[in-house]
Amino acid sequence: MKRWVVLALAAFLALPLAAQSVRGRLEGRIPSAAIPAVDSLIQFASQEGLPTDPLIQKALEGGAKHVPGPRIVAAVQVSLGQLRDARDLLVRAGDQPPVLPAEMTTVAWALRRGLAAPLVERVVAALARPPRAAAMHAVADLVAHRFDPDSAAQLIIEAVHDGVPRERLLEVSTAALQQVQRGHTRAEAFAIVRGQLPNLPASARPPRGNVAGARRLASPAPP
Amino acid sequence: MNVIDPRIHQALDGELASEAVPVELRRAVAQIAAAADLLAASPPGPAMSLESRVMAEIRRPAPSRAWRLIRWLVTPRAIILRVRPAWSVAFAAVVAALTLFTAGDEGPELAEHEGIAQFVGRFPEAQSVHVVGTFNDWRPGSIALEDQDHDGVWRATVVLPAGTYEYMFVVDGERWVPDHLAERLVADDFGRENSIVIVRPARR
Repeated sequence: MKRWVVLALAAFLALPLAAQSVRGRLEGRIPSAAIPAVDSLIQFASQEGLPTDPLIQKALEGGAKHVPGPRIVAAVQVSLGQLRDARDLLVRAGDQPPVLPAEMTTVAWALRRGLAAPLVERVVAALARPPRAAAMHAVADLVAHRFDPDSAAQLIIEAVHDGVPRERLLEVSTAALQQVQRGHTRAEAFAIVRGQLPNLPASARPPRGNVAGARRLASPAPP
Repeated sequence: MNVIDPRIHQALDGELASEAVPVELRRAVAQIAAAADLLAASPPGPAMSLESRVMAEIRRPAPSRAWRLIRWLVTPRAIILRVRPAWSVAFAAVVAALTLFTAGDEGPELAEHEGIAQFVGRFPEAQSVHVVGTFNDWRPGSIALEDQDHDGVWRATVVLPAGTYEYMFVVDGERWVPDHLAERLVADDFGRENSIVIVRPARR
């Protein structure tokens, strides 16, 4: 009982602090008239257990592009709807609520990139949480390069089941792209890569010249 | 110590006739006499004087150039290097400076989850080009592209955590332009399109 009181008190104190930090991030970056509306949408998201960072990012993007306030609010509202859709999809696919914010962000991003909801649902249902985001990136990568969406999802799911670690899933899509560049059809490329699983050729080390001039950002926002 | 029977000495010196030598000593006398004859005999073939041996060495044909070169290459030689301490200190300083300079040129160390994002755009008339996106909170001005050879092609290379990012170029601080060379474009909900870059983890 005592623990619940402490948690409630902490939440009571943390919410206004979080709201204050959100306003701090928005002030000076978006039209001041739009801040209350954007802020209230972010509060809704927070209360529903949705991730708020994608909404803040969308508002900052609008502000940077000098978009009028009402359009920023509308875009944030669209993003909020996408996150709700993502949460519903995850629950439909079998995730137990509360759904993790990172999962919702990943699924919302995949839907935004044009992956069909049934396809995303299939990937989500087939894979456990940790490799899901990487798998979704790999499927989206393949679909963006005009591979058949269903075959792409199947290949990535097989790669995960065959033991390809999540940090190498993008190499599956890279390997398929390389086969196409060598003159194979997309179906042939999939067959070749499927035959190589789980031992994919290591991706090429970036050329020394590329790394030499690379700059490191002070604190890059996560993908 | 073996003492030779004095009668053997006498027989070898001719003081004692062979018939007078006792039977048991005759074999030893014969063997020693044979050995003495062998030693007294001259070596086979004509004996060479010192002069003739030196002349033979001089007259021997000279080795070929290739053979001399091989001999010169394989023969160990002592090298004496005289260096002023001031020069050796200067040499060490130059080597250290070169090493540091080269190490700095290799760029930042990449972690397992990091990769390289290259942004390239052709803007011949531009005075400045920046890249802005989800990786830098859409903060204009934080990543400038460079056109070092003034050919109108602007470039920037950035280390980012592996993943997918949306971005646009900002030309001359006001013109927002998508990267049409990007892997994919996606609607930005503001009536434009963002470019998408996939940063793959780099293996080193």
